[in-house]
Amino acid sequence: MSYFVFSRQSLRLDESQSLWQTSFSVQRLLRIVASDVHVPFYHIILHFWQVFFGNSVPVARILSLIFFVLTIPAIYFLGKITYGKKIGALAALLVTVSPFLNWYGNEIRMYSLFVFLTVLNQYFFIKIYKNRKEGQTTWSLYALTAILGALTHYFFLFQILAQVIFYFLYRKSFEAKSFKRFAVIISVLAVILGIWFYYVISLQNIGFSRPRLQEPTTYNLFDTALQFVFGFQSDHFNSLVVALWPLGVLLTFLTLGRSSKIKPDTYYLFLSIFVPIILSFLVSITIQPLYLARYLILTVPSLYLLLGWVFSTYTPRVSSLAQVALVAVMIFMLSDESVNVNLAIKENFRLAAEVLNQKTGPRDAIIISPPFTIYPVEYYYRGPGTVTTLPAWNRFSAGGIPEFSEDKLIKETDQLKSSYDRGWLLLSYDQGYEKDIKSYFDNHFQRLEAYNLSPGITLYSYKFNYNEDPLARVK
Amino acid sequence: MLDRKNFLKNIYVSKGLLTANVAMAFIYFVILTFWFEKGNTYLYWFLIAGEVYHVWQIVMYCYTVWPRQRNLFFDPDYRPAVDVFITVAGEPVDIVEKTIKAAKVMDYENFEVHILNDGYVAKKDNWRDVESLARTLGVGCITRKVPGGAKAGNINHALKNTSKPFVAVFDVDHVPHRDFLKKTLGYFGDHRIGFVQTPQFYKNQNLNEVTHGAWEQQELFFGSICGNKDKINSVFMCGTNMVIRREALEEAGGMSESITEDFITSQYIHAKGWRSAYVPEVLAEGLAPEDMLSYYKQQFRWARGSLEVIFKYNPLFRKGLSWDQKMQYISSAGYYLSGLFVMINAVFPLVYFFTGAVPFQISTMALAVAFLPYIFLTVLTLMISSNYSFTFRAVSFSMSSFLIHSKAFLDIILGRKSGFTVTPKKGTSANFIYLVLPHIFYIAITFLGIGVAMARDGLTASLMSNISWSMFNIAVFIPFIAAALPSRKFSFALKPKYASAV
Repeated sequence: MSYFVFSRQSLRLDESQSLWQTSFSVQRLLRIVASDVHVPFYHIILHFWQVFFGNSVPVARILSLIFFVLTIPAIYFLGKITYGKKIGALAALLVTVSPFLNWYGNEIRMYSLFVFLTVLNQYFFIKIYKNRKEGQTTWSLYALTAILGALTHYFFLFQILAQVIFYFLYRKSFEAKSFKRFAVIISVLAVILGIWFYYVISLQNIGFSRPRLQEPTTYNLFDTALQFVFGFQSDHFNSLVVALWPLGVLLTFLTLGRSSKIKPDTYYLFLSIFVPIILSFLVSITIQPLYLARYLILTVPSLYLLLGWVFSTYTPRVSSLAQVALVAVMIFMLSDESVNVNLAIKENFRLAAEVLNQKTGPRDAIIISPPFTIYPVEYYYRGPGTVTTLPAWNRFSAGGIPEFSEDKLIKETDQLKSSYDRGWLLLSYDQGYEKDIKSYFDNHFQRLEAYNLSPGITLYSYKFNYNEDPLARVK
Repeated sequence: MLDRKNFLKNIYVSKGLLTANVAMAFIYFVILTFWFEKGNTYLYWFLIAGEVYHVWQIVMYCYTVWPRQRNLFFDPDYRPAVDVFITVAGEPVDIVEKTIKAAKVMDYENFEVHILNDGYVAKKDNWRDVESLARTLGVGCITRKVPGGAKAGNINHALKNTSKPFVAVFDVDHVPHRDFLKKTLGYFGDHRIGFVQTPQFYKNQNLNEVTHGAWEQQELFFGSICGNKDKINSVFMCGTNMVIRREALEEAGGMSESITEDFITSQYIHAKGWRSAYVPEVLAEGLAPEDMLSYYKQQFRWARGSLEVIFKYNPLFRKGLSWDQKMQYISSAGYYLSGLFVMINAVFPLVYFFTGAVPFQISTMALAVAFLPYIFLTVLTLMISSNYSFTFRAVSFSMSSFLIHSKAFLDIILGRKSGFTVTPKKGTSANFIYLVLPHIFYIAITFLGIGVAMARDGLTASLMSNISWSMFNIAVFIPFIAAALPSRKFSFALKPKYASAV
């Protein structure tokens, strides 16, 4: 169902980047990914997936869906060894109906693989913790998932950090040889990532196509939690639901009861949620913004398991009521997320390209800003116009996206004006200069048409030259 | 199944957790006080006053349960003579009989049981029956003919008519175990020990929701609180299931004749340099109030008596008490001020609904970022320190008693007198819904207020936030309201939580 609902949606910016990056040879793919902000494991898998199964959007999305579907039994087994079958089953159900995980389970990005590897890694970690005499196979699988996880997304390292903290807090519960084994695994991981970092640094071209991230506020912390449970909703809805935070106090007080002791496993789950969130938030407000809800997707399985545990501490009646209510609300939100066309996250570049396909001619310039949004438009656009960006950017030459400046805007726009009759300005993903471009165009050219294609994506057409007859210009 | 000692198990609470809890409480307080633009001045100061109180209670709780060691001396061969007092003030004879029979067969060589019969001065019809029962069972009966001083007066009167160096005191509904004296007298082998207190265990806790709620409140007190107060020589007498050295009591001027004679007398004994001991073992079994009216009376008596400690017998100004003891007495008594702050906090959302006034103009989530970890840590501390026995129902009973506590406070401030009311030992299945009408009224006015606010402001974040707070209050009141319904049988923990009698 998830596939049928979500696979028909427009290709989004990040997805188009994945397709573009993986369309090259592995060697070149590695160079492009290294220059971006990610690690290459998912891209390599996607590259070969396309080699074998084709490179259409639905086919590429199926790869993510496979990892998402595999996460369901994986979290059941993680829940089972942590708290028992009931909580495992509830967590699996929450994953299944999760609007957030369904979304990324159908996106051509690494996030569903990231979640899957996170759950597997947690499973082996908890197994090692619970069974002091765990065999070589479990250790090997733990090591493998740790390495692959770290090569899928940098934020996986937060999970390793949470495990390290937990290990030192409960070291006595682990077998005697475990320290040595963990040390070896972390050393191997460090060497592999060290090699990767060396490669990244040697390129001297890091993050060339990365969107500028906003510094997060305390609101983002709650918004993230909201997205993890309710998926992507409108800003107004989110602001109202975030304001319900005092109910968190009630949910906390309801856990007071004759429950069995809080097991260390629960503290581990707490750590695996809060270490990534708090550290990424602190780094974002002090050093460099890197806080994004989707980067923190690795905390979602722990969150669902923890919700299952919290409900299990309630009286049976309250617990059943809470479970049914949560699942029902999540299903409702999932339905809304799938049909609501007004969500900014949906990035309907396909619609933009359809308009351009119909409206543009050979003397039209399609001007895309910011430059990195060229990928999805390029994927869909089949018209005769010329696709360019503002600021002008050559993706195939060395160096990142050029900085925006007023002088450059005037110069590059003059060049476009001299070559084309009309300019189609497609604006999205405001990087801080959207208004400048828009107002320059509004003040210097006659605006012909305007389209609000989907939240955050606007298309305007401007008349560059008044002489529509190309022969007149030649004369 | 838990055994009846489980709640008394001394649980180690990590110093890191306690430190983090206190630190978070202060961070939250500082953010709340200084971070935001003030709204309505009166609301602001009421809120700040409430938070000062809460932070003080959290700090004191964390200080109380801070891990410490105290090795009390216990001499198993120390077997001095004991007068056993069973205080009676018109309770049913069958209850008196059970306690006398259990007291008589205590495994100890040198003791004498006395019924302290206050039925005559309390104008109860059965005072002669009690005398006759004492004769039948072969125990002493000391019947007062001159009233005054309530239970304390009764004990003081008995002290004049007995002479053994130690007195054990039981309320009539608290049935001692055979080993009660054996397990307590040995502590007096340390000649500095003035009194030994043991827990009050409610054997009827599973009878209905009132008994269960009352027990769950007691559980925290006789579990982690008394167990840890003991380590700083600050446990106080709790009126029953205790043994007192006569010399210490006489030095303190006998039992203080106030509503909470035990609490105040403990102060006097401590002030004279005597030490106290707490035995974390159920050595007697009593009865919880069985209906809401009995619960109200008991809580009012405790609240009134404890608040008198603050306003009339303030331990801060008593010479001879250590700082630990002063702070412990004041924080225990101060618990009953919580009613005022619960009431104030419950009113904030209503004020917003009907007027739009708020204590702060909050536009970020900074308050939640500070408040939620503070609450999580507080709940975690409560969970661990109580050995996971503190329940939401206990929170509900504590918070929902705000009117009783507030009335006690008001009575003291206005100088109104109130007598010693014995907690009824047998409940009725009557409808006590009238006792929770204010809570029901609160729910009704909340829903009306939500309608008013929505019509005024529309669906805003401020409204949602205030709805959440009022829903929190309503959720807390619901178990308490349910307990007041007629013949409300216990419905949540149907299986017995404790093993049968030791």
